[in-house]
Amino acid sequence: MLRIEKLNKRYGDRLVLQDLNFSIAEGEVYGLLGPNGAGKTTTINIICDLLRADSGTIYIEGKSVCQATKKLIGIAPQENLLYQSLTCRENLEFFARIYGLSKSERVEQVNHCLEAVNLVERANSPVETLSGGMQRRLSVAIALVHQPKLVILDEPTTGLDIEARYELWELIRQLKSQGITTLLTTHLLEEAERLCQRIGILKEGKLLAEGTLTELQQLIPAQEIVMVQTADEAGAIARAQQQGFIPRYYGRDLAFWIPEHLELKDMIERFDGITLSSISRQPIRLEHIYVEVTGSQSDFLKC
Amino acid sequence: MGSVFLGKYWNEILAVAGRILTELLRRRRSLISWTIFPVSVLVLNGLIVAEKTKLAIGDAFETAAPASLIGAALFFSCLGGSVATVVSEREQRTLKRLFLSPLSGTSYFLGIFVAHTWIGIGQTLIVYLVAALVGAQFNGNFGLGALIIFLSIASYVGVGFILGTQFARRTEDVNALVAAFGVPLLILGGVFLPASLFPDSLLRWAEYNPVYHMNEALTGVWAAGKSFSEIARHFWFLVGFAALTVLGGWLSYRRMLVSERRL
Repeated sequence: MLRIEKLNKRYGDRLVLQDLNFSIAEGEVYGLLGPNGAGKTTTINIICDLLRADSGTIYIEGKSVCQATKKLIGIAPQENLLYQSLTCRENLEFFARIYGLSKSERVEQVNHCLEAVNLVERANSPVETLSGGMQRRLSVAIALVHQPKLVILDEPTTGLDIEARYELWELIRQLKSQGITTLLTTHLLEEAERLCQRIGILKEGKLLAEGTLTELQQLIPAQEIVMVQTADEAGAIARAQQQGFIPRYYGRDLAFWIPEHLELKDMIERFDGITLSSISRQPIRLEHIYVEVTGSQSDFLKC
Repeated sequence: MGSVFLGKYWNEILAVAGRILTELLRRRRSLISWTIFPVSVLVLNGLIVAEKTKLAIGDAFETAAPASLIGAALFFSCLGGSVATVVSEREQRTLKRLFLSPLSGTSYFLGIFVAHTWIGIGQTLIVYLVAALVGAQFNGNFGLGALIIFLSIASYVGVGFILGTQFARRTEDVNALVAAFGVPLLILGGVFLPASLFPDSLLRWAEYNPVYHMNEALTGVWAAGKSFSEIARHFWFLVGFAALTVLGGWLSYRRMLVSERRL
């Protein structure tokens, strides 16, 4: 559905995309992760024909990106870019018309999208009276109104409360079940873990890792991760290293990669002589992979 | 193929125009102001002209109507309105949402033009209805007058685009900008004070003022019943100015696209 080949983009002296390659299969939900400035939004801008790449190509359904491919894409940008004094229905009708839907298609699609995002009861309310979560759902509905082949959700749940986030996750799951190809960018790793079939991790314009969660988990040479709280962190690290455990900091939290599965009782025994205030086991999660791939934790270890 | 292509533009133009009009109707404030201001200027101008020239009230309103329409109505709704539309789209960042869609720049520009043309038609009806109520009558060629109004709207929307895309960054800038550019032009255009009262030195300056030519052309046709040849000088100035401002507005819009095309 989407194929990106050797994409390069430079802003002045800064190279923001470096030979970026990735593709998304039809019906797939692909998560593009990366720190701020990694190049996620620049990539989206180029996919949407807002920016020109310096080199490289993007194909959507086999067509090179141009004004015409805009009809194949539905995008919900980071911010809710909505006409505040218009109602939900009017916003949807306006965009449906811009995308060239006939009158009967407009009526059908607007009603369908309002239902899909659970805004039927607020269909005739001006956008300015809606909560942030409702506005975000409307923004997603606008992305869907012309039945695009590819939906791009740029940080769709940023700034939303937990309830609104769950509602939106449910909506993305519905898109997934309908086989709609989706490119999702997010800072919430839990979101990508729950929703995406494949994930790409981008940093400084380079795709550092890509795959399913299971494939990405192979990047960490451990069976599980143990989180440890102790006043004697230096002692714990020294002891762990003797045991073949690999120390890591996630934020200020000390953890160890454990190469084999151990019972908690055995684990505690390995730290004999070190006073532990708590110890807990965790499976390898996207957070651990992300931190490892983007190199965000090495500075803490140096500390 | 061609009709599909034209259909796309037509559909987009109507969508943009419809959206602008719906927003204005929903907010009401601008529409009310754009009704009250020209009517009050018409009434004041009409009464002053009647008093000073000893004309019958209907004749005085006939003379005052074109200037009130060109200056107090179309100027603020079409020029100020276009600036406000572009600035508000930038402030709400909905312009970026439009860039993501297949909407063409031409349709957007023409959509704003069509919306303000409808407002201009509404204002023309109101101004002339009020004038007619006190006995004013239409003179001259209706089509020629309508063409002058159309060219005036095009000029104002063109200038509005130039100001809105290049100079006004926020909503607060709109009033200051429109007043700074507009009020001197309106005075020099004979909107509040008939150009016949201007000293020669001021008249020479007025010759370079498009509002003066709009006003003289419309007053000539609809108030004095003049023929095309009698107002040709004003008319052709207006045609040139409208072409220049539409082109300038279009180029300014293209320039803005380059700077605003970021998510």
